[in-house]
Amino acid sequence: MQTSLVNFIQVLRSHDVRISPAETLDAMDVADALGYSDRNQLRDGLAMTLAKTPHEEAVFMQCFDRYFSHKLADLSDSSQAEDAQPEAGETNADSQTADGESGEAAGDGESYEQDGSAGDNPLADAAGDSPELQQLLDSSLMQSLMNNDRNALSMAMSQAAAKVGLNQIEMFTQKGQFSRKILDELGEAHIRQAVIELERANSPALDELRRYRDMLREQVRDLVDREYLLHAEGRNQQFMDDILSKTRLNNIEHHYQQKVQALVQKMARKLAARYGRKRKTTRRGQLNMARTIRKGVATDGVLFNTYFRQVSRDKPQVLAVCDVSGSVAAYAKFLLMFLYAVQDVLPRVRSFAFSNHLGEVSGLFDEHPVERAVELVNWQYGGATDYGGSLEDFARLTMDDINTQTTVIILGDARNNRGEPRLDILQSIYQRAKQVIWLNPESRKAWGTGDSEMPRYQSACHFAAECNNLKQLERIIEQLLKSTR
Amino acid sequence: MNTEDFPQLESVERIIEGFESYGYICSRKIATAVFLAFQLRKPILVEGPPGVGKTELAKTTSELLSLPLIRLQCYEGLDEAKALYEWKYGKQLLYTQVLKEKLGDLLQGAQGLAESVERLHKFGDIFYSEDFLEPRPLLKAMQQDKGAILLIDEVDKSDYEFESLLLEILSDYQVSIPEIGTVQARTSPMVFLTSNNTRDISDALKRRCLHLYIPFPSVELEERIVRSRVPDVDESLRHQLVQFVHSLRELDLKKTPAISETIDWARSLLLLHTEELDEELVRSTLNVLLKFEDDIESAESEVRTMLRSNTGDN
Repeated sequence: MQTSLVNFIQVLRSHDVRISPAETLDAMDVADALGYSDRNQLRDGLAMTLAKTPHEEAVFMQCFDRYFSHKLADLSDSSQAEDAQPEAGETNADSQTADGESGEAAGDGESYEQDGSAGDNPLADAAGDSPELQQLLDSSLMQSLMNNDRNALSMAMSQAAAKVGLNQIEMFTQKGQFSRKILDELGEAHIRQAVIELERANSPALDELRRYRDMLREQVRDLVDREYLLHAEGRNQQFMDDILSKTRLNNIEHHYQQKVQALVQKMARKLAARYGRKRKTTRRGQLNMARTIRKGVATDGVLFNTYFRQVSRDKPQVLAVCDVSGSVAAYAKFLLMFLYAVQDVLPRVRSFAFSNHLGEVSGLFDEHPVERAVELVNWQYGGATDYGGSLEDFARLTMDDINTQTTVIILGDARNNRGEPRLDILQSIYQRAKQVIWLNPESRKAWGTGDSEMPRYQSACHFAAECNNLKQLERIIEQLLKSTR
Repeated sequence: MNTEDFPQLESVERIIEGFESYGYICSRKIATAVFLAFQLRKPILVEGPPGVGKTELAKTTSELLSLPLIRLQCYEGLDEAKALYEWKYGKQLLYTQVLKEKLGDLLQGAQGLAESVERLHKFGDIFYSEDFLEPRPLLKAMQQDKGAILLIDEVDKSDYEFESLLLEILSDYQVSIPEIGTVQARTSPMVFLTSNNTRDISDALKRRCLHLYIPFPSVELEERIVRSRVPDVDESLRHQLVQFVHSLRELDLKKTPAISETIDWARSLLLLHTEELDEELVRSTLNVLLKFEDDIESAESEVRTMLRSNTGDN
């Protein structure tokens, strides 16, 4: 049961529930304290240690039901299986009668031959003729199939599944392959062999054995299906996220935009949680009595100097300047989306958009949801780029507000259409601001080629980086949060 | 706390019964949480909307076990001097003044400075000893001989720094005081933390706790709660009023009425000798359930339909 609990935790992790080893140990303790008899109680208990938000709890409940459904259900399932068996027997009988004469004839022949040995069971009869078949029937697999011993069967199946590494399943195309492997591991090959032989001998036991074989196959198929849902779904999600976050942002198809937005939100939440320290607002400060007295020792117990517990004030400000001309617009969109998604942590973000002129667009973001605001910005400021003119506009708008707590992020390809770059403005920003970050969606190799002014602008930046997929974007935002903390 | 000392907590069923005898009707999930907290010696972090009985849970546990309840209300700016311990500065100052004269007697006959200092050393750190220590709630909970119920209320209102301060206490039941050393709890207390989710609690703190979310109760459970708290309300009215509160919760309100409001309302209806809910009465007593003018306004227009649909249910 312990391994199954650990596996369950693996499943939870693949569904984005973060669980530390210490919590795994706690979960074990919980299971020990509560016992396995009351399913709901165990579920609630485990939820208390493993899920830490209402959202995680919902995920937990879903996974718990899926994961433990078959494991626990198997125990109660045997009655159901017994119900199922006669039914299967009936269809078997039906097919026999439908088969018509040949089937009947074969059946007749059998009853003639082995009348005495109470031949209800053609399989046992046939086994009398062939020692190999007898051996097969004595195998534990056939025994559990014939005696309808679900527990033994599911035990054997999960052992086989563990051996072939079923929990590594990733793609639905692997389902067949894994089913085959498990069947081989269970020793289904012998049954298959026996079926072929019986076929050759045209034995009456054929149908019976075939039925067992099909039953086994179906069981295994079900098992693989369930495990696929359990393991691969979460993993595929991760896989997808991984791919998306490494794709160049302007190559992401429209179809995936929704997914990317969700991904941005997710990344932003993660970062916000990591750096989500509440910014301190200064209070007048309380008298630090301990320190005052300790310092007072030097003056013979007279409290000469007083000391206060003071809290410093920290007001980081971020100015995001985005090129929204055709070539860069897609990137600007994601940068802005990201910046506004971490608003809880960086409350003072002002955004500016430019192509041939520059304007502040913070207002749009206050009024509209981020996605809509980005569209509006593109519409208002799109066009051919003029970096020089835009920097002038920017300086006019904000130069007075830039101080040592200001971070300026510029996103653009620095392709100025051979215009005047106005490097002097960027330099004066560089001198006043805490940091100037330039994000360029072009790869580093292309910087400085053609009309790119990147090398010159780079000289007036604290930090210039290539930024064209979500992974890089996330890294940069993280750095930003770290430095403004 | 030893498991044998508290037969009240020996199984989930007994906890439910025990709580019920003190008028706290709880779901199985809550009882399981208390059971686990006791068995595994882990704190419980209780979350949920205001008024669903988070604080009450701790109080009832303390009644059930007849242990003292030590409560620490968190707020922004709460620091260790108010939560953990403080030195009795006044006393220290006074004693230094008083004892100054004694010093002369003590050092009489001492040869040179070294010997004087040595004599003084024999007395140890008198001023930073337990006698001068003023225990605040957290330390006090550690000092109880038979254990205690420690309630850290609304931990989400405190600062991040304070959360880190709690970590040592919650995982090892000990407190480090630089001047004295580590104070281990005599008997580890049972700890309840409550949070209203105004901000996310840090992972480190969450990891150390069992996580219990108390939602609004089902109709059936809430009726039982009302019955145990306000036994004089007769059954049909009780059913009616709980139904009504439940349909109120489905409206879009600023502050959804919680269990405590339902109980208050039941009490007020009792005072007014109500036998059946009618529109007039509900309107005039809505202010017991709803705490915002906006909410009352938006609910008033719905009262008639809600009452009708509820009686339709019967």
